[in-house]
Formats: sequence, C-alpha cells, structure tokens
Amino acid sequence: MEHVTCLGCGCACDDIGVVLRDDRIAEARNACALGREWFGTGVVPTEVRSAGVSVTLEQAIADAAGLLSRARRPLVYLAPELSVAAQRAGVAIADGLGAIIDSPTSESVHATLAGQRRGRAAATLGEIRRADLLVCWGVDPAERYPRYFPRYGGAVDGRVIAVDVGERRGPGDALERVALDPATEVDALALMRATVLGHAPASPGLEAAAELARRMTRARYVALLHDGERVGPAVDPDWTEALIALGQALNGPTRCALSTLRAGGNRSGADSVLTWQTGFPLAVDFASGVPRYRPHERAATLLERGEVDGALIAGSPLALPVRVTRGLGSVRVAVIGPRASAAPFAPAVIVDTGVAGIHEAGMAFRMDDVPLPLAAVLPGPHAATSVLTALRARLARV
Amino acid sequence: MSPPRALRIAGGEVYDPINGVDGETRDVCIEDGRIVADLPAAAPRLDARGMVVMPGGVDIHAHIAGATVNQARRLLPEQHAVDPAPRPELVEGGPARSGTGGTVPSTFTTGYRYAGLGYTTVMEAAVAPLAARQAHVELDDTPIVDAGFFVLMGNNEYLLQQLAARETEHAHDYAAWLLGAAGGYAIKIVNPGGVAAWKMGARNVAGIDQPIGSSAVTPRRILEALTDSAIRLRLPHPVHIHCNNLGQAGNAATTLDTMRALAGRRAHYTHLQFHSYGGERGKSWQSAARDVIEHVNAHPEVSVDVGQVMLGPATTLTADAPVEYLLHASTGRRWVNVDIELETGCGIVPYEYKEQAAVAALQWAVGLELFLLATDPWRVVLSTDHPNGGSFRSYPELIRLLMDRAYRDERLKRVNQKLLGGSALLDGLARQYSLSEIAIVTRAGPARLLGLQHKGHLGIGADADVTVYAREQDVAQMFATPRYVVKAGVLVVDEGQLRRAPAGRRLHVRPEYDDQVLDGVKRHFDRSISVAFENYPVGPLADPPVPAS
Repeated sequence: MEHVTCLGCGCACDDIGVVLRDDRIAEARNACALGREWFGTGVVPTEVRSAGVSVTLEQAIADAAGLLSRARRPLVYLAPELSVAAQRAGVAIADGLGAIIDSPTSESVHATLAGQRRGRAAATLGEIRRADLLVCWGVDPAERYPRYFPRYGGAVDGRVIAVDVGERRGPGDALERVALDPATEVDALALMRATVLGHAPASPGLEAAAELARRMTRARYVALLHDGERVGPAVDPDWTEALIALGQALNGPTRCALSTLRAGGNRSGADSVLTWQTGFPLAVDFASGVPRYRPHERAATLLERGEVDGALIAGSPLALPVRVTRGLGSVRVAVIGPRASAAPFAPAVIVDTGVAGIHEAGMAFRMDDVPLPLAAVLPGPHAATSVLTALRARLARV
Repeated sequence: MSPPRALRIAGGEVYDPINGVDGETRDVCIEDGRIVADLPAAAPRLDARGMVVMPGGVDIHAHIAGATVNQARRLLPEQHAVDPAPRPELVEGGPARSGTGGTVPSTFTTGYRYAGLGYTTVMEAAVAPLAARQAHVELDDTPIVDAGFFVLMGNNEYLLQQLAARETEHAHDYAAWLLGAAGGYAIKIVNPGGVAAWKMGARNVAGIDQPIGSSAVTPRRILEALTDSAIRLRLPHPVHIHCNNLGQAGNAATTLDTMRALAGRRAHYTHLQFHSYGGERGKSWQSAARDVIEHVNAHPEVSVDVGQVMLGPATTLTADAPVEYLLHASTGRRWVNVDIELETGCGIVPYEYKEQAAVAALQWAVGLELFLLATDPWRVVLSTDHPNGGSFRSYPELIRLLMDRAYRDERLKRVNQKLLGGSALLDGLARQYSLSEIAIVTRAGPARLLGLQHKGHLGIGADADVTVYAREQDVAQMFATPRYVVKAGVLVVDEGQLRRAPAGRRLHVRPEYDDQVLDGVKRHFDRSISVAFENYPVGPLADPPVPAS
C-alpha cells in the first residue's frame, strides 16, 4: 500500500509504502526510525477482559457502562492513537455522562492559554519551505520529529539558525548557533520582540538575542520552530506566550510563522474535536450538563485530589502523562484502545482495539492541524470507534 | 414514535414568493419529505391559523465549519463560558448534545440554533481544499441543516501559474477537479491575489490591475478566469466573490471596478457592505452605498448578499489574512494568522461593533442603505457574514430594522453620527420591507441564487423545509422564535421547542473535467505540497451531488 499516513510523530508523513508479508508489516518504506517503530509488525494484543477474565465484547461494554454510570465523578480521557471518529465518540460519551474530559494536551496548558490570550501567527507545514530563515528554538527536530526538515524544511543549510538554550540544543548540523542561558530565556524573547517592534532597549547580556531579532527582521519569511511537547514544572508558564508574541510581532516588518512541533497518535485531533464539539480545547467538565472550561482543574489534578471515581481511557494507555497514570492506580478504569491490555495500571475493563492508521481507517490531524486520511493496512482487533460508539449507545440505555 | 410521513400545515398565511403566493391563506401538505398537492383529510395536521408560513430559511453566506472557524472557537473561551447551551430535550433520535454559543458556537449548537431560527440550509462560505476533510466532519456534527461549502480558489498558486502561462482551459479543468476533490459547492474568490501577495511578503494588492508578485497575473485575470469557470462548468451557483480591499475607506471604487470587469457575466458579490465605502484610506470615511447599489440595481447579472454589521460582539474570521493583520495592528486585539500552503490564508480577530464608534456606525448604516436602496430583493439578499458582521442569531433584529422604520430611526439616532454625512439613511429612507420581501431575502432569493431548485419555495416537489411563525407585535421576536419548523418533512421545532435533530444533507457538486489536467496537478503536488496527491481528495460523500444547472 502506498501513500499511507504515519502517526509516529506529529509530522504525519503520508508517503509511506507499507509492505505486508504473512499478514504482518514487513516494511514501512520512507518511514524514519520513529515511524518504523510505530508501524512495527502491526501485530497488537487482542484481549477483551473484565475483572481480570476474558469476556465477550458485549460483556466488556456492559461492564464499562456500569462502571462509568455508577461513578459520581467520571473522567473520559482521550489518549493518543485514536482516529477523529473515535475522539468524537469519546466526547459524546463524556457529554452524556456529565463527565470531565481531557487529553495529553493539558500537559502544556499554558501554551493553550497563551494562544487563547494572544492568538498566534502560524502556517501549514508546506509553507515552511518558503522560509528563508528557520530558527530552531531549543529544539532539534531530528530527535523526535525526524522528517520535519527533509519533508517540510528542506536541507539544514545556511537558512537554519540553532538556538541552544542550555541543554536544549538546536540542530547539531546548523551552520550558525546562538547560545542562551535558560534562566534568561523568556527575557530574551521579550527583548527580541521589543527589538522587532523598534523599541530596542539596551540589553546587557542579551546582545546575541537582540542581534538574532534584527537578523529575523531582515529575513523575507521566518519559520520559528519550538517544541510543543515540552512539559513539566520546569517550563516557564510564560515561555510559549513569549514565543507567540515574538512570532506575531515579526509580521510587522516581515512575515513569520511559529511552527509548533507536536508528537504523534493524532494528539492534535483531541483538541480540535473537543473545540468543535464543546467550544473548548481541553479540560472540559460536563458535570453541570453543559461544557465548562476548567484549564486549572485538569485530569491529572482531579486524579491527584482523589475526585475521580471512574474513568474511561479511550486510546493507548502507554503514552499517558505520568501523573495521569499514577492517579489511575486507585480508580476503577475501563480502557478501550490499542494495547489496552498492556496498561501500566490495573484496569477493571480492557478492550484491545486496533491502532488508528494501522488497523482502523479514518482521519487524523497533523501537528499543524491539517487533516489527513488514515488507512487500515491490516485487519486487526475491534475498531476503537465502533467499540466507543457501542459504549455510548449502551450508556444511553442505562 | 417516528414522526408522521405526512403532515398538513393547515390554514396559515403563506408567503411563497417563488410561486407567487403573498400571504394567502392555504394549506401546505407534506409527504415523505416533499411538498405535495394534497393529502387525505385524515392526515395529521398542524393548526397554523393566524400564523405566517414560509419556506425554511436559506443562509447563502456564513462561517460555521472548518479549520478557520475552529481556530476561532478555540480563541473564544470567554464567550463560550457565558453562553452555555444545554442539550435540547429531543423526543427521538438518540441523545442530543450540549455545547456553547457566543459568536462562534460549537457544531451541534450551531445546527440546533439555526433550526431554532427557522433556517434549514446554510452555506459555509470559505474552505481551503487542503482542510476540506475537516469541514465535512464538522458539518457531520452540525445537525438538521442541509449544508455545503464554497472552495477557496482566488489565491491558489497552481491556478495562478496556469493563468500566468495563459493555460486558461487547464485552469477551468483544475477548478472543476478541485471542487470535486474538496466536495465543495461553489467557487469562492477572496481578495484575489491579495492573500498570495501577503504570503509572499508583499502585504496585499491595492486594485484589480496590480500584478501579483513578479507574475503578469492580476486580480482582474483571476476574477475573469474563475467567473468563466463557474459559467462553463454550469455550476448551480455562480462564482462567489469577496472583492479586494475589504474594509478600506474608498474601496467602493475597487468594488465597482470588479463589477465592471465582469460586466455581462453572472457573478455573486458577497458581504457588499464591507466593500461600499467612500473616502480615502488613512484620511476619511464615508458611505458609498448609493453608488454601489445603483450599479447592482442596473445590472441583472449581479447578485449580492449584504453582510450587515450588527452593533455588538462579532468575530472577524476570513481567508483575507492581510485585512486581519491590519485589524490586529490597529486595535491590538488577539490575532490568529495561518498561512495555508499554496492555497490561501486565514486570519481571525475577535471584535465588537460599538454604537459609539464612528466607523462601526458607518458600517451599520451602509448595510441598511444597501438593503433599502436595492430595487430587486431577489438579487440583494440577507447576510451578516456570520460571525464577521454579527451572529446569525441577530437576523431577527436585522429583519426588524428592515421592516420597522420607526424602530430603525430610533436606532439611527443612538449611533455615532460623525461619519454618516453622505449616508442616504439620514435622508430618511422610508422603505419598510414587507413579509414577502423578507421571505425573498431570507429564503427564496438565496435558494434561487444558489441554484437549489428544491429549496426556498413550497411548490409541489420542493423539499419540505417549512417555518411557521406566530404573529407578534415585535417582528424580531416573531422571527427569533418560530412556533414550528419542519425539515425534510420532520417536525424539528414543535410549539417553539427543538424536538428532533435529524442529520442534514451535504450539498456539493462534482463537475466534469478533462482528466488530462491531472498530470500537471500531480507534478505540482510532488513538487510543492506537503500532502500526497492521492490523500488530497475527500473521497465519496454519502449524499449525491447537486446536478449542473
């Protein structure tokens, strides 16, 4: 099969040639190492269990419905590796249940909130190649987004500037580098913005940043790359906002697009679907019968506080944020998704499904929110969309 | 508890302008989703005595689904927080969905609220083919209304290349292929060449004869080619044009240049209000509504929707990215820009038209002037360019402004008068729209302009999309709260409450083309686009295409 979309990272390369042999994936042509790992052999577990024993799918759905409808404070979590159709079914379940719904995008909530305060100046990935200056801000796409440059950015040549922020280094093969102290990173971004706007205050210690800003201003079209999966307490809450503000300001004297690198498994799809169905991109609470935005009461927070007493993990349980995985240890959980049976906690109900884009066709979003078709290259276990749809119907009857 | 297959809407005052019915008392009979001549006496009845019966509303131009709309939704949590939309209590068809409103509502709420206003057909006005798949899925999540979308082509770089190479035939075939690949309904031009210029760093184009970048292609050439494409492909709706220089003082000259450039050729000009300003950029503003509408009145090949500005909150969202940059730069408001590779742009700025702001008051007045000076309501139809000029939920208020002169004059007194000097509104335009004219500008006219032969009327064989309003003193109240709405024969609003929410149909076209065009298109994809040619078309759609006109 040709032109298959890979969800190994957010690049969502759609030029993969999948070769099958003996009902397994023998080769994923054009795929990078991450992509080859994502496709694997296409063999996935196919268990359906409830309370530790194998059951029929119907029984598992009934038990999941029971678990969720008994919960006073249910959580639906849109984990990676779901198609848009499955994500839509997941939001419908949360709406019907009066649940909280969230996704891994919550881990970078400050970035989302910054985008809501300021907007952003961005581009689809095909525009990146028109850039005559690519500034990699503390990120080397080769590490976790390996085909970003080959497919979208072109060669790492004289157009590329690596900004090394302490240990967070830009591309190793960039011809130019700028080094910044992590402690003054957000200050540097603010200074750069002021420089672009022509305010140009004195900048002791930050001359390199100011010079970079002037350089960016002289370019015809700047692509400013940063890592959208940078999460954790070490991330300054103002970091993304400072990048957004710089990117926007550059559109006065020249043109600039901020390119946010995101991981795979249709993560962006969870925010997009939640947004069109509820008006909010993450951390939505349906408890009052309407969607309420709770960006500071996210799944991880509620789990840590012990508020959640029943959860549906829709998608792969292997790529959950650490705090979510930890919190689920003390909650009755149904997992419906690829490799549910390999969950690093003990779910009450497990339905292994196929992987969206390997066993289930549909649609997914690239890191730049461009929608792409997914193919089913192999037959697999139950499709997540149909299991979630059946669960929704079952819940509607409860 | 399935709804009856047949229904007689009995004894209402019927406004069906396409069939020459102007307020006569008669029955409207429905069977299997269509209007029929009669029904057995025992068929279920709705008592519509003393009520106003019209075809379901048809919105010719709104922004309700797709990548740009969803970016706007994401940007507006504060609007959604204060306008939660509980799930309606449906009597059948599975659980309804909650959502949020504001100027850019969530998808389910959009469908419910349109139906709640008596609208049963909506055209999403701007979709980039690259993201067409998303627009379709969002429309799948927008219940009740039949919907389609217009495909953005006026800044498509492959098309521009063909025009530069004088390959006009090839351009027509490409436009046909693109429409079908996206599953769209009509050809849309937004600021022809101007968005491409913005992406190249040239900021914008200033008029229709300014070359775009280093090519010899001008906005005029794009306008001519795509207008001809729509005519030659016999599309049900002509080319849908958002002119250059939207929102600029003095832009009426560009608008008239555009209309003259296409003289004699069928074309639809959208949100004309935003393109009817006199004065001079950076210096002065005034209304040029009279000049523009006089041209429209005199040229039967021209149709327009007004794009009325309603005083209050709005969200400006458009493919016309350079305009949104200017709005951001001048107001400091939040701003989204997304350059969409080789096709178009996307710009969003949340906004508010304030009664006391001089330019907003001028825009409000210009829209009303266009409505009130128009001589042919079939060619000058109602829109607010939702949510750009205001939400679709303000249509009832707009209808009142058109029907009720005393109310209009009272509102006029309250707005900032500074720039209203040249406005015909101040001369005391006495016109008041009749119910029949309202039926034309909100359903019959848009349906006819869209080439939807089964919509906008209540003749035999028409789609059974019917709205029944209880008469009220305040026409805004009357149009805001229909007593009954029937969609495709299903009673969706009953006694003023939304009770059923069936899926709507997708309106799309699939024009024929010479498939030799595909060789060049494939090479273009291999060279330039980040998505494989094979993955670009949205594939088959569940509903059959609307046939050529």
